Amino acid sequence: MFTIGKLARQADVSADTVRYYEQQGLLLPVARSAAGYRLYDGQALRRLHFVRRAQQAGFSLAEIGELLALKQRDAACCRDVRSVALEKKLQLEHKIRLLRGLSQALTDLIGICHDETRPLDQCPILAALENNVAEPIQG
Amino acid sequence: MIEVEVFSSPGCGRCARAKALLSAVAHELGIDRIRWREVDILKEMDYAVELGVMCTPAVAIDGKLVYTSLPSVKKLRAELGKRLL
Repeated sequence: MFTIGKLARQADVSADTVRYYEQQGLLLPVARSAAGYRLYDGQALRRLHFVRRAQQAGFSLAEIGELLALKQRDAACCRDVRSVALEKKLQLEHKIRLLRGLSQALTDLIGICHDETRPLDQCPILAALENNVAEPIQG
Repeated sequence: MIEVEVFSSPGCGRCARAKALLSAVAHELGIDRIRWREVDILKEMDYAVELGVMCTPAVAIDGKLVYTSLPSVKKLRAELGKRLL
């Protein structure tokens, strides 16, 4: 059995993070010590690692909750998990596309400034933002 | 000629149903009038994202995303029928 501090160290997170995951329903202590401290087992540690890895893959805590629920649903199968992963990938690709657009908009703005010594009231980037000249910030 | 594209991923059961549905309606309306294409979303992710596909199965007609979930036979037939007029 692990205390919250030991569990957190094993997963390289803070004890506050573990408490937050508990608040979000992603993790539960299996028991309490005589003094009332939370105690966790190996399964809780595996679950904590799962949550961290899923977060690193871009899943939100709500989506991770969905994945954990799927894991425990008898009728669920690999297809359901794959479908969640595919939808996540689509969301990420949309976001990448949006970020590329934003990056290009900034490139365009940087490109219109050829003289860094100009005073601010002659700054073409600020002027473009004020006049909406550069406009390409779209998805 | 109407172009219908079904976005799916290999091994997706819901997508297989969508494809069967579309295939039946397309054949019913005439394959000489409806060109349909199965798009493997993993191979054409950029194209899917460009059209705004956020989940599968999804159906685009003439290059525009029309259904973001499985349409009923009735709805799909009505939509294609309207476009064929």
